[in-house]
Amino acid sequence: MTQGSLTAVRRGRRLANTLTTRIVQLGGAGVIAAITLIFLYLLWVVAPIFRSASIEPGPRITLPAAEILLVEANESDDYGLRLDGSGRGLFFDLATGTAGTERDLGRALVAARPVAGHNGLYALIDTNGALGFVQAIYPISFQSGARVVTPRLDDAFEDDWIEVGRPDSAEAYDVHYAGQQLLVATLSGRTVTVSQFRDVEAGLYLEEPRQAEFTVGRDYDYLVFGPRGLWLYLISASGDFELLDLARPLEPRSRYSGRVARGDARVSAVAPLLGRYSLIVGDDRGRVTQWFLVREESGYELTPIRTFQTRAAAARIVPEQRRKGFAVVDAEGTVTLYHATSGRQLAEHRMESGAIAAASIAPRAGRLLTALPDGVLQTYLLHNEHPEISWSALWSKVWYEGYPEPVYSWQSSSADNDFEPKFSLTPLLFGTLKGAFYALLFAVPVAVMGALYTAYFMAPAMRRIVKPGIEIMAALPTVILGFLAGLWLAPLVEANLAAVLSILFVMPLGILGTAWVWSRIPDSISSRYDGWQGLLLLPVIVATVWIAFAIGPWIEIRVFGGSTQGWILENLGLSYDQRNSLVVGLTMGLAVIPTIFSIAEDAVYGVPTHLINGSLALGATRWQTLVRVVLLTASPGIFSAVMIGLGRAVGETMIVLMATGNTPIMDLNIFEGMRTFAANIAVELPESAVDSTHYRILFLAAMVLFLITFVFNTLAEVVRQRLRTRYGNL
Amino acid sequence: MLKDKTLGVRAWFGSGEPWIWMNAGAVAISIAAVVGVVGLIAVRGFAHFWPADVALIDYVDSLGERRMALGEIIESETLPAYQYLEATGKTAEDLAPGQITVERWLVKTGNRRIAPPDFRWVVAHAVTSVTYPEDAVVLERVEWGNAYGYLRAVYEDGKVSSEGTAAWADLAGRIARVAGLREVLRGLERSDLNRINYELNRQRLQRRAIDLRGATDDPATQATLAAIEAAEAALRSEYDEVEQRLRAYQAELRRDSLLLELADGTTETISLAEVVKAWQPNALGVGGKTAHYFQALGAFLTEDPREANTEGGIFPAIFGTVMMVLLMSVLVTPFGVIAAVYLREYARQGPLVRLIRIAVNNLAGVPSIVYGVFGLGFFVYFLGGSLDALFFPEALPSPTFGTPGLLWASLTLALLTLPVVVVSTEEGLTRIPRSLREGSLALGATKAETLFKVILPVASPSILTGVILAVARAAGEVAPLMLVGVVKLAPTLPIDGNFPYVHLERKFMHLGFHIYDVGFQSPNVEAARPLVYATALLLVIIILVLNLTAILLRGRLENRYRGVET
Repeated sequence: MTQGSLTAVRRGRRLANTLTTRIVQLGGAGVIAAITLIFLYLLWVVAPIFRSASIEPGPRITLPAAEILLVEANESDDYGLRLDGSGRGLFFDLATGTAGTERDLGRALVAARPVAGHNGLYALIDTNGALGFVQAIYPISFQSGARVVTPRLDDAFEDDWIEVGRPDSAEAYDVHYAGQQLLVATLSGRTVTVSQFRDVEAGLYLEEPRQAEFTVGRDYDYLVFGPRGLWLYLISASGDFELLDLARPLEPRSRYSGRVARGDARVSAVAPLLGRYSLIVGDDRGRVTQWFLVREESGYELTPIRTFQTRAAAARIVPEQRRKGFAVVDAEGTVTLYHATSGRQLAEHRMESGAIAAASIAPRAGRLLTALPDGVLQTYLLHNEHPEISWSALWSKVWYEGYPEPVYSWQSSSADNDFEPKFSLTPLLFGTLKGAFYALLFAVPVAVMGALYTAYFMAPAMRRIVKPGIEIMAALPTVILGFLAGLWLAPLVEANLAAVLSILFVMPLGILGTAWVWSRIPDSISSRYDGWQGLLLLPVIVATVWIAFAIGPWIEIRVFGGSTQGWILENLGLSYDQRNSLVVGLTMGLAVIPTIFSIAEDAVYGVPTHLINGSLALGATRWQTLVRVVLLTASPGIFSAVMIGLGRAVGETMIVLMATGNTPIMDLNIFEGMRTFAANIAVELPESAVDSTHYRILFLAAMVLFLITFVFNTLAEVVRQRLRTRYGNL
Repeated sequence: MLKDKTLGVRAWFGSGEPWIWMNAGAVAISIAAVVGVVGLIAVRGFAHFWPADVALIDYVDSLGERRMALGEIIESETLPAYQYLEATGKTAEDLAPGQITVERWLVKTGNRRIAPPDFRWVVAHAVTSVTYPEDAVVLERVEWGNAYGYLRAVYEDGKVSSEGTAAWADLAGRIARVAGLREVLRGLERSDLNRINYELNRQRLQRRAIDLRGATDDPATQATLAAIEAAEAALRSEYDEVEQRLRAYQAELRRDSLLLELADGTTETISLAEVVKAWQPNALGVGGKTAHYFQALGAFLTEDPREANTEGGIFPAIFGTVMMVLLMSVLVTPFGVIAAVYLREYARQGPLVRLIRIAVNNLAGVPSIVYGVFGLGFFVYFLGGSLDALFFPEALPSPTFGTPGLLWASLTLALLTLPVVVVSTEEGLTRIPRSLREGSLALGATKAETLFKVILPVASPSILTGVILAVARAAGEVAPLMLVGVVKLAPTLPIDGNFPYVHLERKFMHLGFHIYDVGFQSPNVEAARPLVYATALLLVIIILVLNLTAILLRGRLENRYRGVET
């Protein structure tokens, strides 16, 4: 071989060596990268829920001056519509600020209201008190690849305008349209007129309305429908309210009355929240209060739930269309964003303009439109993705709509659009810890005692089989344990509850009985089998279970008066679910026994023999040595075993999913189920929309789980490392 | 051991012996639990394929009417009398004096749709007689589960072909014919129709890709468009032709039928197109039953599921599990081994290494569902979404990789099982005597050469152990898979005859998830239960075998260097 080729070979070898070193180092760094990536990614997804909202001025659009009744943006937030008192509907492009098509309805209007739940549908009332509906449509077409919107304003129904009575003001008028029923109410003087349209279909004729008039006892200024049009709020500027029951729309009845203002404050703005369950009332002192009907012993009562403070008198309250949030514009021109459920003040912005004529929030809550009297339209961009969450809304009691008091509740979705999501993580944390608690209640004694015996007393020949035998249980898929728990154990326990409970007494008695008998056997025989007690007890265990099941029915009748479940409910006040914590505890306990057993056994087995021999030589019995020397020395190891077992029980998914009813209750009752973080994620994450609040909260739940197990595992690891050093020193 | 036989109970307790026994009891409980769980699954799982005898039960139902039921007695249970009375609304007079428990049998009477319900509880004390008629026939149907009855006649094209006792002999050949036809049909649907649909979709995507690129007037594009159109036309005509053949076969399938007399004496005509298999369990000897047993077992392992997974086989689930596990091993092995080599061979022991060890330990302790959440967010939506935007814009908005699938499931589980491989490999590396390394280095090998030629080959059994343990873990893991790629019913396997043959973006079925889904989400849990036990048994066997292999391998390794130790 020539000198040159040798050099080449050497260079090649050196290169390969360096390359390998680099790759290996990269791999090592990769492990840290992986765990940091998991944590950082979770954090990255979760972080936006705690980011504060912001309001920034958007395009300013100049339109002809008019008496403006309403401005609204469309669903995709690119076009807007303005309706004015002379009966003209004018579209405008929100991006460029140019005015687009216009339609003149040919009659002067007093009020215009968007119909909640129906995009682009507006209910108008003209100066003669006649009602008409228009529908804004934004058809999209593609012209040479560009997206073109050509908005137009259609009549929503085939009818001419229908007489419903002229309201005193734009506030003294409201519309509710859901299902096939449309309700319109107007207030004129002290007369409330309710018009009911039935079998309503868009685009067809409206049936002739059935109308009812009702005279109230005092003057009111605001009129707002309640949820599903079931009632009508009447509110006066002086702060009095009256509630009309519209269960039968044509026979309104006055139900409750009272005050919604404190002291001599005057009501300056009123708006219903999404779903119309809550009423937001602002007064001239700048207090904005959420009210809803709460069931009391004496009946319902309109109750103040939360109060927010603005800088000056609330001039206008603008609710969001899809969430329980709202904006308040005050008399000094400050606009503030709030969210009812979380009770948060989200963002604040000082507007340059003075009083405004109309305002609305775009359907997807990304924009606030304000119309100034001079025709200028100022838009504001809202960055407000997750207003419903705050640290306290996640962890403490929240007063939700329709609840008699603040509660912890997890209820993430419903078929209803008006639904208020309930995102309290407390019941889930509670459920997680409850499941882990019952699992460890069963697993820790069995695993630790088993480990002590296996490491310290068991015959080596038996230990060689028993240890891997129990450890292999750790490999058993939890889905199998969960399936057995749900489909086999749960019905079995339900049918034989007395028997299962009696095992608690029968089994220890059986073991002790066997031990007593064994102690009477001559040493010459018994000492030969010392270390095999575990095997000897195997038939005893099986026999005691059999005995318990045999005497179960008898116990049920003698002790529990026929029905164990009934007895428990009557005497302990605990209700019984088929899939309950007892079943979960037993099964999940079984799943964590191998983990705890294995680590604890290692710790006990590792106790230096000279310590044990020393103790025995000093005359201590085997048991004394075990308790005073071995257990004490190995206790950190046992502690770390329990920690790791706890970590496993906290994160276990399938068993909980299959063996409990997954109801997020907060009750320690062993005969009821729970909902844990892990099971909750498994159930809800596939259905949640990407980047929604719900999605991010589920990521938060995952992060909490991650952190909990991180703490337990690190604790266990540190303790174990200490122990290793200590054994080394001994 | 000192023991005084005259010791009283108190002294006996004082000696601590009872506590030792209590500890021994804990071990016994653990062992009993392990053996019990595995045994329960084994007994129920294996029993699923055994052709149970069909009993004719003459009993009085809860309304006091006399009834005949023909079916398999699946289980008998004893329940407290009060629960029985509560459930049936009866008074204590129905029971014998002093009777505190009621025995009841769950009888699978099948005949769903013809004579529901297909499962019924029969109270033992209301049974007059139980007989096992020799000529009772069990029909496994394509839909609606089993049928039980007596074969009375076989028809061909609506005309009687054979009647009475001759019918049974006649039936076997006809069922075989139908099975053959069904196989042909399945082949047509599986390979031909599936391929045509796949090709059509590809042409559609090509066309959309051209649309997206714009500039449709240039001649080359025009030519491509024309080619696409021609290909589509050809595919469509081929489709029509295959469909006609399908229809012809389906007509053939419906030619024969049989007349079944049910337990209550009514008769029912059943088309053979609906019948998968027929047998007379009471007439079968042990040999016949054994043959039937293995046939059923084979069908279970190789066939597709039917009836919302409650009948038929679990082949796609086995296939999906194996695919996922293989892919995962390919991903996790190099990464895990490199990390272990770094920790043992390259890194200077210090805070960094300690940090990595803590990281590895924590990775092992993180709940599997958290990996699922991470996999869904990072792999599926972030990586997959980016891949889609870059390489598959023509398919958007329907995602290609931006949706849970095989690749992402494998990646997620690779991350989950990484600590297993790292720990096991490291353990192997620790055991390699220093003399071996030093010998290699002394002979002039570089560190890399020592690693590849000496250390890794010697450590290979422990690497293998790690991979086997990782596979066992992955095969049984369900929670993260629910988020990143497993479905209850995958229409196509991840490997098929369509280019590029391996479809990593597809969703797949998995044994563990199958257990969860069939056991808890299926409309007829009672009917599905035996199948769940059988699936669970298969999964347990796979995992136990893998783990035992790993234990044996590790044991070998321990012995290997006993002599070499420095």
